[in-house]
This record gives sequence, structure tokens and C-alpha cells, in this order.
Amino acid sequence: MEYLAQLMLIAVAAAIINNFVLHYFVGICPFIGVSRKVDMAFGMGCAVTFVISIAAFLSWTFTYFIGRPGAPLTTFIWRQVAPGSTAVIDLSILNYIIFIFVIASSVQFVEMYLRRFFPPLFKAFGIFLPLITTNCAILFACLEIMKHVAGASDPAQIWGLDKALTLAIFGGIGFAIAITIMAGIREELDGCDVPKPLRGAGITLLVAGILAMAFMGFTGVDRGLETLILGK
Amino acid sequence: MLTTTTVLTAAGTMLVLGLAMCAVLGWASRAFHVAVDPRVEAASAALPGANCGGCGYVGCNEYAEAVVKGADVSLCPVGGASVAAALAEIMGIEVKETAPRRPVVHCAANHSQRLGRHEYKGEQTCAAANLVAGVQGCVYGCLGLGDCVRACEYDAIHIVDGLATVDYVKCIGCSACARVCPRNIITMIPFKADQVLVVKCSNRDMGKDVTNVCKVGCIGCRSCTRLMGEVFNFDRNLPSINYDAYTASLDMSKVLEKCPMASLVWVGKPTPKHLEQTAGEVLPERIEADFKTTADQAEWRG
Repeated sequence: MEYLAQLMLIAVAAAIINNFVLHYFVGICPFIGVSRKVDMAFGMGCAVTFVISIAAFLSWTFTYFIGRPGAPLTTFIWRQVAPGSTAVIDLSILNYIIFIFVIASSVQFVEMYLRRFFPPLFKAFGIFLPLITTNCAILFACLEIMKHVAGASDPAQIWGLDKALTLAIFGGIGFAIAITIMAGIREELDGCDVPKPLRGAGITLLVAGILAMAFMGFTGVDRGLETLILGK
Repeated sequence: MLTTTTVLTAAGTMLVLGLAMCAVLGWASRAFHVAVDPRVEAASAALPGANCGGCGYVGCNEYAEAVVKGADVSLCPVGGASVAAALAEIMGIEVKETAPRRPVVHCAANHSQRLGRHEYKGEQTCAAANLVAGVQGCVYGCLGLGDCVRACEYDAIHIVDGLATVDYVKCIGCSACARVCPRNIITMIPFKADQVLVVKCSNRDMGKDVTNVCKVGCIGCRSCTRLMGEVFNFDRNLPSINYDAYTASLDMSKVLEKCPMASLVWVGKPTPKHLEQTAGEVLPERIEADFKTTADQAEWRG
């Protein structure tokens, strides 16, 4: 029960309360760029959710087995190279470069795979898939996971793959929610008489700001939920 | 010691990961290889790549795919005959004689020639004014509020004395103006020569009703159809030119003479003769947008 409650808290926090776009302001470029039409925005949201899950799986695997201080694989290999050494190898300096590297190549791989085996899906994703490579929301999810794996002082607090994937998938869903709402507003905006200097990116950024303020209303809900479910 | 260790392991990790990814991606690119028709690539290389959508497809690539599947090769309005020929060569087919399609505004009345105009203070777009009754007497003709001007990305259509006028030197034939016109009076017409004859009226009312609202509108007298029935079609009080039958070499002088309202007008690029005729005239100065920055004006003192 407590395990499920924890997963649920992570999910709600990632999707709504600490929405990647509207709370942390990452992934703004596709949020502004691809939010012209609702169906396109929804497609982008789905594609991001898809890629973010794959990237989270890979980055968790890297951080857990290789990247964190005293990671099992690194330590094992180092013991083979230098028997008797007691040094704790910490490869967390590599996190950023490895995450970017892993995201870029996994997107490439997924693209080739989809193209071969799921042509309709590949056509539906179209240009979004390669574009997502440079989406900072994905790097942010990886770094957030890394924080909970490499940064945890208590070994019992280290996130497993389940929590990492929950964060990533619901972070992606949060992104999809945000960009779809944004696209809905922008479609309505087409019929409005926007002052000339604000047309285009200007009014979009203003709308994004107001939307973010609305989402600020969720702040603290996670604490309340925690008390409610776990009874702490 | 610790630093050296970290640096060495970091470098080693990067190297191993890099090699592993290279191997995986290299393998994937072969294992998941999809045979793309080389003609698609050749066709998209031959297209202009402007992605304007003038052909009716979403972009140049989509059109290239459609061409390979058997679509008409002469749909690209920007590339015109040369692109059509290149596409035909890729596809190994003969290209029909193609003419670039250019927009024609089927209205000839400027402000003073349109009757029954009332002051309109609403939103200054044709789309909005078209919804309001009584802006002008003619419910078919140009409203002159410039939706087409705003749609044009090539500065090739302007409102001159209340009438949308195409600049055929700048026009590339993307048909954006034709799509945006709320009264549908702009149509794309194949220009078989630099100049073609067009019917500059869209009014389908009876003659008396037309003269009540316009000084130059077509009254539907059928003179043109009687004289050259093979070129002119007549439908609901308005003649139209059948551009399949029309050729540049046809002698149209008799029809032009006979038309009482001068609704038949030559449009197109000016010929050297026209330019010579108007060479002496002083044009009103047009103010061009000035995109220079201060850096452009600064004197070079190096």
C-alpha cells in the first residue's frame, strides 16, 4: 500500500504539481513551437512521453550501474584492473554528457526501428521524433532521476527503476497536458484582436506565464496528499 | 591518485559507451534499412524546396512522393516548366506543355467605378466586410481591404485605388491570395504567354442590376460568345474563357472591340513595347521598407 502510494505521489507531482513546463520551465521550445494546433500538440506530447520513458530507462541504468559513487559495475571493473584498491569511483561528472549522448543515440535507434516496423507510427511522429532529441524536458527528467539515484545519502532511499519510470512517464503526460491546453488557448487566440506588437511569440509567452500561474495553485497539494495517504 | 583514477575511468567509460553505441546504431541502420525509392529523393531534390503548398500537398517532400506514385508532374507553380521537365525526366514520362499558373482578379472596378458604397468602419478585412450587407453595391466584386495583400509573401499583390492588382513580375503563383479571398474572385489561370486575356468581372446578375452597382461590370450581352464561341463559355450572365482552347496566337481584336463594357482585359507582365511607351511617365514615388541597420550606414574607417 505504502509502495503504491509513493508511486502515486511521484506520478501526481510529476504530471501536475511540479509540471515540467509550467513549474520548472523546461521544454519551452516545443511548448511554444508546436502548440499551434491541438492535434499536433497532442502528437508532440505523446512523442515526448514515449522518448522520455526510453531515455529514463537508459539513464537510470547508467546511473545505477555505472555513474553513481560506488556503482557496482564500475567498482567491479576497477577491482579487476587494480586489485586491492579501495578507492570509491565516482563517475557522476559524466552525467550530462552521457545523458545527452544516450538520448540522442536512443532517439536515432527508435526512429530507425519505427521506420522499419511501424511505418504509420513513424509517419505520425514525423519530424517530432528527431526534434525531441534536443528537448530539455527529457534531459531534465534524466537529471531528476540521477539526483535520486546518485544523490541519495541513505542507500534505502535510492530510487529503483519503477520510481524512475513513473516520474518519466507522468512527467511526459504532464508535458502533454500542458502543451495541449496551450494549443487549445492558442487556437482560440486566432479569433482575438491581439495588439500588433504582441502578435506571435509575444502573446504566446504571456499566455504561458498566466497558465504557469494557474498551475502554481497546485503547490503544496503533494504535502497534503502525503499526509492524507500515508497518515504522517 | 583518486583524480587520475576518475579521469581514467571516465575516459574509459566514454570510449566503451561510444564504441557500443556506434556498433548498435551501425547494426541498426543495416538491420532496419528501409529501401526508399531513389526517385523520391531525386524528385525532392528537383523541387524548389520552398514548401509553399501551392501544388496542393503539404510540402515539397510530400509532393515528391505523390509524383512517384503517379501524380501530375506539372503541379508545382513555383518551379514552372523547368521543374515539370525535370520531374518528367526522373519519372521517364513525357511532359505536356505546361504554363505557369498565375492569379487573376476577376474585377476591374476601382473605387469611383463601384456604386452603392457605404462607409464601413468595422474590422478592416475583406473576410469581415464580406459578412456585412451594404458595404458596396456589387456583392461579387473586390472589397479592396487587402486580405490578399496580407496573404502574399512575395509582395506581388497590392490594392491600387481600391482594387487588388497583381504584380506579375514578382508573382510566383503560390495561390495564397486565391485561397484567402472571401469572395473567390481570384482564380489561378495558365499563362500561355506573358499576357493573356481575362474576363475582369464576376457579377452574375442581369445587365440592369450590374449597371446599377458598377460602371465597368459585365452586362452579359453575349457579344464575345457570339463572335468566338469556341473560346468563350457563357454561364449565368457571365462569360468565361476556356483556357484549354485559348492560345496566345488567337486574334482577339474583334471581341475586344465589340465588348461594350471593356470587361475583357489583357493582364500579365509588361512587354518591352509597353515599357517603352510608359518610359517617359513619372511614377508616384513608392516608399520601400528600409531594412538597413546602423551598421550598414556606418562608414568604414578600417
